[in-house]
Amino acid sequence: MGERIVIMGGGIIGLSCAFELRSRGHQVTVLEISSCGGQASGAAAGMLAPFSENVEGPDDFFRLCAQSLRLYPAFTDRVKQVSDLPFEYTESGSMYIAYHDADILALEGRLRWQREHGSSGSLLQGEEVFRLEPKLSGKVRAALYTPEESHLYAPHYVKALEHACRLMGVHIHEHLEQVAIKDWQSSVVLEAADLSVFEGDRLVVCSGAWAQQLEAAFGIRIPVYPIRGQICAYETEEKPVHHMVFCNQGYLVAKENNTLVCGASEDVAGFETTVTEKGIERLRKWNKQAFPFLETWTPFHKWAGLRPSTQDGFPLLGALAQSGRVVMGVGHYRNGILLSPVTAQLVADSVEGKKMPDFMQAFVPERFS
Amino acid sequence: MKPDVWHIGNHELTSRFFIGTGLFPSPYVQREAIEASGAEVLTFAIRRINLEATEDDSILQHLQGKSYQYLPNTSGASTAEEAVRIARLARASGLSDWIKVEISANDRTLLPDPIETLKATEILVKEGFTVLPYTSDDPVICKRLEEAGAAAVMPGAAPIGTGLGILNPYNLGLIVEEAKVPIIVDAGLGSVSDVTQAMELGVAGVLMNTPVAKAKDPAGMARAMRLGIEAGRLAYLSGRISKKRYASASSGYEEFKLK
Repeated sequence: MGERIVIMGGGIIGLSCAFELRSRGHQVTVLEISSCGGQASGAAAGMLAPFSENVEGPDDFFRLCAQSLRLYPAFTDRVKQVSDLPFEYTESGSMYIAYHDADILALEGRLRWQREHGSSGSLLQGEEVFRLEPKLSGKVRAALYTPEESHLYAPHYVKALEHACRLMGVHIHEHLEQVAIKDWQSSVVLEAADLSVFEGDRLVVCSGAWAQQLEAAFGIRIPVYPIRGQICAYETEEKPVHHMVFCNQGYLVAKENNTLVCGASEDVAGFETTVTEKGIERLRKWNKQAFPFLETWTPFHKWAGLRPSTQDGFPLLGALAQSGRVVMGVGHYRNGILLSPVTAQLVADSVEGKKMPDFMQAFVPERFS
Repeated sequence: MKPDVWHIGNHELTSRFFIGTGLFPSPYVQREAIEASGAEVLTFAIRRINLEATEDDSILQHLQGKSYQYLPNTSGASTAEEAVRIARLARASGLSDWIKVEISANDRTLLPDPIETLKATEILVKEGFTVLPYTSDDPVICKRLEEAGAAAVMPGAAPIGTGLGILNPYNLGLIVEEAKVPIIVDAGLGSVSDVTQAMELGVAGVLMNTPVAKAKDPAGMARAMRLGIEAGRLAYLSGRISKKRYASASSGYEEFKLK
């Protein structure tokens, strides 16, 4: 029969954990205060780019990200199989572009350690750059090409995951407005704003930027801060960009649905998810430097999501020391989509009391307390 | 007591903490840490900045509304020519006429190339920049950079980002003794005790990024570093005791002898 698991949060992380735990035979309930995938998950550009997102060195967070990328093809195959809903998953590779000769030293350093950790990348200079991306500005001097990186269409992926969960018998309760933790030590009891009560044996916390509100309930510090990420998209007829293109200001990626997505403009705005003119203008000021054709283009769609960032940039992942009943999976910041398969696996392993890999030490939920 | 201010060129400074803006886990934590540091001078790599729209740059946009002195650096440059080229770009963008010359020959050690650094310093001084070269902890090259017109000289404690602390305190002491411009320890510091040691040696200030940005609590570490700088500075001004080989009781033994 498995255990009764209650998951707080119906974003990409909560749904991935629900999918994995249900696949392993547990009874799973997901509690969502608004609607599934309605926040950062649905707003994400779906970049699966552990090498481009981690430029400093092979730290524990990079290891987590890289492992997740390796798990991706099999995980999404399972989601597609169960849900019978298609979603874009494109193995496009990525290019991290640079405008100055002074960037080359840093790109070389990055390439050196990344090639030891699963990248078959190379440093492109001159004509090689434009052979892969003909529309790039002539001012681009070099690019780090990483064939292993891919992207998916996040809103469809989240929908497929939610649908798969429902088909497998996960109980999903949405629009609960507020969920309070009544007990988490002797058993798991939660109460929604309408006073409906949810009980279980284990609690999995996947409430993203809202996790900080649980500090008092668990008596630990949960320094998770919402960072607003603003994104815009252009309509295209044919794919003007073939790879995910990163630079020090953001990224561009063309999707199957004939859109070119440009992100992300970050700022600190509390839980505000409105789009600002300044935020979108910032994107337009750098993206036309990378691709001059964008000078005359106007975005047809603009949106924002709240990325749950933590004090040290690492997620809070794993069981609480005080009570193995509670497993945390929050604070994935810019990498929630990328980290969906690995978080699902580690959270499910943790619920089942399996041994955690060594790098999980860096993500211990109580490390700030 | 008169305030312990210092100068780079004609610019008066109170804080002795120069902080790097890179590597922070998020804009929120970056802002908190910079505030906690009390720093008046912020440094960043020119190549990481959107020079065509600096107010909209992904890093600098979060720092608006405060008046900081910017110290753009030429990191990544491997020749004087490239360093001079990007220094000019930075000034033309209106960011600052201060420039930290940073020229590395090798992507593994990132150790400064003193010959190219001296060349770039000479050129940029002539062009009217306020030049703060980052160089190795060699007393002779530091003196040569001062003679070339550097407004301050910034010897490294250890290679960038290593956190190894001051590898050669003897050299650093000599550099301070000889200098007529401020000496700022740049790169390689790891802990508050490293920073305090640097200040006790008499340097005018320290520049850090990694030890703060990569701490578990960057804002907490920024404050700790600020206090370490203040403690080390005050200790330097107050004069430490000389070292002795054997014990000498603090309440003089002789006084209690029955005569």
